Amino acid sequence: MKILLKSATIIDIHSTLHNKKRDILIDKGEIIKIGTNLIDAKAKEVKANSLCISPGWVDMKAKIPDPGFEYKDTVQSSLDAALKGGFKYVVAMPDTDPVIDNKSQVEYLLSRSKSHAVRILPSGALSQGMQGKLLAEMYDMHQHGAILFSDNKKSVGTEMMTRALEYAQNFNGLIGSFPFDTGVNPGGMVNESNISVQMGLKGLSSSSEEIRLQRDIELLKYTKGRMHVMLISTEGSVELIRKAKKAGLHITCGIAAHQLAFMDKDVADFDSNLKVLPPFRQSQDIKALIKGLKDGIIDVICSDHEPEDHEHKALEFEYANYGISSIQTAAHVAFSVLNKEMSVDQIVEKISTNPAKILGIEYPVVREGQKGPWTIFSLGTEQSFGISGWKSLSRNSPFIEKSFPIEVIS
Amino acid sequence: MNRTLSVKHLLGIKDLTKEDIELIFSQADEFKEVLNRPIKKVPSLRDVTIANLFFENSTRTRLSFELAEKRLSADIVNFSASTSSVKKGETLVDTVNNILAMKVDMVVMRHSAPGSCLFLSKHIDAAIVNAGDGTHEHPTQALLDAYSIREKLGSLKGKKVAIIGDITHSRVALSNIYCLKKLGAEVMVCGPSTMIPKHIQSLGVKVEHSLRNALEWCDVANMLRIQLERQEVSVPYFPSLREYSMQYGLTKEILEGLSKKVVVMHPGPINRGVEITSEVADHTQSIILEQVENGVAIRMAVIYLLAQTRRTEKEVV
Repeated sequence: MKILLKSATIIDIHSTLHNKKRDILIDKGEIIKIGTNLIDAKAKEVKANSLCISPGWVDMKAKIPDPGFEYKDTVQSSLDAALKGGFKYVVAMPDTDPVIDNKSQVEYLLSRSKSHAVRILPSGALSQGMQGKLLAEMYDMHQHGAILFSDNKKSVGTEMMTRALEYAQNFNGLIGSFPFDTGVNPGGMVNESNISVQMGLKGLSSSSEEIRLQRDIELLKYTKGRMHVMLISTEGSVELIRKAKKAGLHITCGIAAHQLAFMDKDVADFDSNLKVLPPFRQSQDIKALIKGLKDGIIDVICSDHEPEDHEHKALEFEYANYGISSIQTAAHVAFSVLNKEMSVDQIVEKISTNPAKILGIEYPVVREGQKGPWTIFSLGTEQSFGISGWKSLSRNSPFIEKSFPIEVIS
Repeated sequence: MNRTLSVKHLLGIKDLTKEDIELIFSQADEFKEVLNRPIKKVPSLRDVTIANLFFENSTRTRLSFELAEKRLSADIVNFSASTSSVKKGETLVDTVNNILAMKVDMVVMRHSAPGSCLFLSKHIDAAIVNAGDGTHEHPTQALLDAYSIREKLGSLKGKKVAIIGDITHSRVALSNIYCLKKLGAEVMVCGPSTMIPKHIQSLGVKVEHSLRNALEWCDVANMLRIQLERQEVSVPYFPSLREYSMQYGLTKEILEGLSKKVVVMHPGPINRGVEITSEVADHTQSIILEQVENGVAIRMAVIYLLAQTRRTEKEVV
């Protein structure tokens, strides 16, 4: 189908028309013509306030719990939700059941998503079964399309992390780190502050994140590998990454969009939909994260999509699973929080060109003759998602029915 | 004086006003007088059905509530289950549905998970009394503690109360702090630094690690039970009960060596010889048994007042 975007702003730092307004004719995903006052009788015209086009957005961290937990989300439902949220590429975490620790699992995900408009970029486990004992066959998985290796949110021992960082260099593999040391605050599940005291819950200090981040940075320095720190949440972590980058290490990092939207005090009435890992922190942390985004210290905004069914979420706070079903709203949340702080192209960079570069994927540039995928959105229209438009099978989200200052058109 | 509470449930002291607490106390005064009559029973709640849901072991609190309910002539049903024996969480939601079907008016619940009473209050149409939700709140214990101090010392205003022991794992510390502060007392927490939550100063309390300093400072020492069973960690918070007792055990010698007479409290059950010795438990300065007695009166008052609120609401509807 042909579409004609009328007066769309091109948001693509690699395009010669970056930040320019043009009419764009697209046929089956391919840009046929870019110009002004284009007319095509056969094309469907798309007009909207502040219409924009950018290369298809990349979600660098999502749990697609298929196989094993298809009642939470299937490949199909996850990707449908991603599409609604503007994402055209999704990095799937390896903690399915069975774990993605071999090429068959990688191939399964790729085959299941072949006919979908959203591409899955599988990540593989670092260790076999994510048990932290033996290295997984990273090279074989890499050969078959795995793009990053991590044990997601499982704690990785020092020996395993060292070995993985060393081993992945054989094929220039990327290691994903989740900085969380469970030994500092065993049993903690919310930010450690006056709020954890009032809730009678054990807290998770910023040290529980920063100690592990320091270790991983030190190991990176030692092994000279390549690491993406998938999620950070504290002011101190931003500083650690800043220093590591300054020292020239091959390190990048990301945050979950919802980390910017809530603070620990929002969790005080035990809403299990706000139980996430890392926990929601405080205003100075959010300020530091935003500054980190602006300064380029934080490269990526991801969804950290973690769908959870009713039975695992509608529980006493302590027993509820962590996570938010967030892939449909992550970009919306990012724009909503950051639209007064950063320019559109700065925000888009964090969900498109930056993750694409870190992952080293082939990535489209807005120019004539180029095939997509593209993300087309409007910054002049509001969008909200009710239950009827919710694509994830899980509804553990504080963002259902919330209104955002951006509409994803396709 | 307003004779109704500002809340529909007793989920925690945090939600109560000072007036609420004073109302509960004055109502408890009346019930305490009833409890000293030959016939210790009033017909006030003949139209009320109460479910006691105890998802965690408790002997004293459960008995105290049951007795309070019986003294008020309420119909009661008891339910006890261990959260560990069934899949966590499912029990509560399933039980909730059962309760709804039984048309009970009030639920008294003890549960190990912080926030579980709030969770329940969002799902069922019954007044909820929190009988301890893990390390969050245990409001009736805090009320009876403050009531007992008031009885002994006349007023809470300006009194210095030290809460001593395992603050992190205590189910009563937080409620006690809220209650005492609302009534104008000064509060100190004292214990090993591994067992005092960081940021607890944000509640406006002093923190002390020396038992002697705490005792020299306070008018009342509330000695908490060491909750050995709550230490679900691979490295325990202190090496041995012996060493704990060496630092934080209250003995007769220490108590009598102080420059003033400090009132000794304990929420029970006591580990005799660990946090306090038998001599201290049975000492003339100890009000441990008064606490137990007052517990019934306080719980009667809470249940009675919540039932009143519920009746008024129904009439309005």
